[in-house]
Amino acid sequence: MRNDTDIAIVSWATTPMVRQTGNTETQLLLHAITDALEPVGLTRADVDFTCAGSCDYISGATFSFVGNLDAIGAWPPKRDSHVEMDGAWAMYEAWLRLHHGDIEIAVVTGSGRSSTANPALIYPMEMDPYYLAPLGVDPLTFAALQARALIDAGKITERDMAEVAVRSRRDAKSNPHAQVTGNFDVDKLLEEDYVRAPLRRHDLPPITDGACAVVLATARRAEQLRERPAWITGLEHRTECHNPALRELTDSPSTRIAAEAAGIGDGPIDLAELQAAFTHEELLLREVLGLDDSVPVNQSGGALAANPIMATGLVRISEAARHIVEGDKQRTLAHSTSGPCLQQNLVCILEGDS
Amino acid sequence: MSFQPTAIVGIGQTHHTPRRRDVSFPGLIREAAVRALDDAQMTWSDIDAVVLGKAPDLFEGVMKPELYMSDALGATGKPMFRVHTAGSVGGTTGIVASHHVQAGVHTRVMAVAFEKQSEGNAQFALGSGRGASLGAGGAFAPFIRSYINRSGAPEHIGWQVAVKDRQNALKNEYAHLKIADISIEKVRESPMMWEPIRYLESCPSSDGACAVIFTDEDGGNAAASDGRQPAWVLGTAVRSEPGSFPGRDAVRPQGAIDCAWDLYGQVGITNPREQIDMAELYVPFSWFEPIWLEGHDIAEVGEGWKMVDSGETEIGGAFPVNCSGGVLSSNPIGASGLLRFAEAALQVRGMAGEHQVDGANVALGQAYGANMQYFAMWIVANSLDPFG
Amino acid sequence: MPRLVEHRIQFPYKRSLGPVFGAFMTALVERKILGIRNGNKVLAPPLEWDPQTGEELAPDFVEVGPAGTVTNWTWVPEPTEQHPLDRSFAFACIQLDGAHNSMIHAVDAGTMDAMSAGMRVAPRWRAERIGKINDIECFVPGEDPEIPEGDTGEAPEEPVTMMEYFASITYRNPVSENAERAGAAGKEKRLLGQQCPVCARIYAGGRGYCPIDAVELTPEHDVDLPQRGVVSNYTIVTPVQYPGQTETEAFARVMIRLDGVDVVLGYQGLIDVPVAEIHPGIRVAAMWASEAEREDDGGRSMISGLVGWIPTGEPDDTSPDLLNKVL
Repeated sequence: MRNDTDIAIVSWATTPMVRQTGNTETQLLLHAITDALEPVGLTRADVDFTCAGSCDYISGATFSFVGNLDAIGAWPPKRDSHVEMDGAWAMYEAWLRLHHGDIEIAVVTGSGRSSTANPALIYPMEMDPYYLAPLGVDPLTFAALQARALIDAGKITERDMAEVAVRSRRDAKSNPHAQVTGNFDVDKLLEEDYVRAPLRRHDLPPITDGACAVVLATARRAEQLRERPAWITGLEHRTECHNPALRELTDSPSTRIAAEAAGIGDGPIDLAELQAAFTHEELLLREVLGLDDSVPVNQSGGALAANPIMATGLVRISEAARHIVEGDKQRTLAHSTSGPCLQQNLVCILEGDS
Repeated sequence: MSFQPTAIVGIGQTHHTPRRRDVSFPGLIREAAVRALDDAQMTWSDIDAVVLGKAPDLFEGVMKPELYMSDALGATGKPMFRVHTAGSVGGTTGIVASHHVQAGVHTRVMAVAFEKQSEGNAQFALGSGRGASLGAGGAFAPFIRSYINRSGAPEHIGWQVAVKDRQNALKNEYAHLKIADISIEKVRESPMMWEPIRYLESCPSSDGACAVIFTDEDGGNAAASDGRQPAWVLGTAVRSEPGSFPGRDAVRPQGAIDCAWDLYGQVGITNPREQIDMAELYVPFSWFEPIWLEGHDIAEVGEGWKMVDSGETEIGGAFPVNCSGGVLSSNPIGASGLLRFAEAALQVRGMAGEHQVDGANVALGQAYGANMQYFAMWIVANSLDPFG
Repeated sequence: MPRLVEHRIQFPYKRSLGPVFGAFMTALVERKILGIRNGNKVLAPPLEWDPQTGEELAPDFVEVGPAGTVTNWTWVPEPTEQHPLDRSFAFACIQLDGAHNSMIHAVDAGTMDAMSAGMRVAPRWRAERIGKINDIECFVPGEDPEIPEGDTGEAPEEPVTMMEYFASITYRNPVSENAERAGAAGKEKRLLGQQCPVCARIYAGGRGYCPIDAVELTPEHDVDLPQRGVVSNYTIVTPVQYPGQTETEAFARVMIRLDGVDVVLGYQGLIDVPVAEIHPGIRVAAMWASEAEREDDGGRSMISGLVGWIPTGEPDDTSPDLLNKVL
């Protein structure tokens, strides 16, 4: 039996993940929300709280989230909020709000169209405005520095990284929403030139447009809506100091602290979905989270198969929830991240009723 | 775990000015945060989580600045959260921070909001970098004209609000605009900016920040027994509605009404005008004072301007509004909402100095955003049971 | 593939530096690199706070470098317009002599093979130093800084307190099918609207969804809207000058209540009416751009090709509630 105030994921939906969509962000959300509510027989009128995650600099417009309200159906007016963060953090806010016990159903979203501008020009703007932004230090550079730190420390090899890429894109073949899938050969991949040494093209995520919606419910409704809701038994996030040059890049202490606080040690993890946009990040996160080779990671293909920025983390949570709701796993973990070299990390632990 | 009583035990703000050229971005924000820590008699290590709010990132050209601000706000190893709900964001920042404690998830949480408008240009940012940006005044002018038409308010009401708020600002050491010889004539003769809004009826562009520290019931009681009056968060509410559709009443938005009654219901308020002792409302252009008095059912429809006219909203009046000088006197946009919420808390703590309202036991903080479509409100009081 | 329309967000931000970043930037003009003492360590470049605890650091500066050791690096084969060099280079973590942490900067090493962890590098100083991290153009292999000939490293006349950051991002936004249809209608001088099948509300242009019912609106929901209406309300904007501003004189935007339907078009242009003469009640008709005048805004205005509204000359509409038709 669950407590009244326990909170579960009961449904989710993602749009197709594509290199470039002709749809507006609002249209993407319109579809994602409708598709998430439909399987559990809910309508927008049943939703007590909504929270969206998106980013003006990705959308290329001020207040870009305001127009996205049109997808929510906020009439009569809704309890609603927005975070300039991945939809995974939007879920965190909704989870906090549902704790109050006076409302029962929340919809959270993440959305972004990364295709509209060059990420290498956008992302320096999130860096230290005095010491780093004026140098145009871009996401590939940060990822490469972290990968090299791990390689130099003897923790991983370029072959390990290529193997992550091969496995992810192979697994992604069974994910209808994946964007980059296929069978690749590790040796062949390793023959390719570096894009940003020690990263090769296969170590990088695609540029993706897409959105995700997740439906949360408190215990009473969750048990009505799903035979096997995905109970959120731990949800924590932590940050680190900003400048990667001031961090030990071979570790991810914020992930570790978040996971411990979320209760990772309270039982075995049957499956994990990690927001590892670069191959080495999966290897680092696995180590930090203590996930050995027996734990399936990113069976969906992960961010290497589709990387809808501002939704990528929420998609991980929806994938981890899927395995609980569909009954093939008992306890799963989802992870989301933001900032250079995994600066900020969120860990969500989901459990099914046994 | 369900709803936990939550207390405000620390409040800090910067002096709000057109240009804080003497400080860096994080320096400005830390100034408010350190003052809040001092007020709460805490150090950085006492804080469990930080919630950051600000208006659009295009204002300063730093994307998702919560990333850069993490260590500047002592958040290394802690949760760092960023909300953005247009102009209401400062209010939402306070609300989300309070929810961390109310949900029983954390014990001591800091809300921080800021804007350093001097780094960029508000019109540019609000227009997404395109030409012919309407700015906020240009966008709101038709709504204000409609309010004046509907309510039959005389034109001096707008001037009167401007004079009142500017006079209140003279009593607030942190306020940006301080016009010692402010008068109805001076407002009336100031340039017309966005008809019917005159220059002196408009908010300034400010650099500034505000921080508020929340703690749980034990923390609030400990502060109280130490002689430091906490402000108890009795209720919080938010509402959003689409910005434009046929049949929408933008002058008295349904979201404003619903948000208010959700809040009043939580607190046990049936007659807001009687039961609330003062309010800090988001008034970036003078006419929004009567608009929100009516929009939140503090005044009857068409009667809000009469509260202004009769002096009821002055510091010594029956329902004082914006004793701090309000957004009209200080407008670091992303922080403006949190400042409203914080000023309401200062009042019930009895710490509002020269602009203190006598007998302020229950106070309302409010902020709105975008096309008058996002609302954030809270009620704070000097006890958990002010009507008991 | 959808058609793309370009839009650039570009602005020269002006940052005030405060006491610590300001001291660092001022020292750069003198060809010096400062760190700040943090306990028994030196943090370079300096911060105002301890990045682990948030505690304020006293302004106790220490000169570090100028040479240092590469601790980590990556190779950038194709620089972006924001990068410090216009040819292949390395970004590296460089631990300057005397500092206890690395800083990130560029290394002009010629080829990737020249890079390795442990290599020694020194700054190449720009001749024109303004007090910005870019005063160090990059680092170069070796122990010796590259200093422009005759550069005496004089202190600036005034301490550096400000820096400029020029942000420029070009976005290419797809034009939605609905916006395309509204634009195509405009070419035929038709004012396209869409009617929600659930609530029957009508929305002007190619909005593509009903915000009340959150349903998608597609070609089957298209309706032609009347091209005559009345000015119901207005705003007159005194333009603030900013980079990218296109207006210099006060300009007006009006609300148009269309005849016979519950539709108000917000913030429209009014043609041939001086700003001072704008008032509610003016009867107007849509004016469309000729083929030559058409500007493609990618459907942003929802009705591309509509130049604005021009008075018909008929007597004013004097309905008392006209002003309330804002939306």
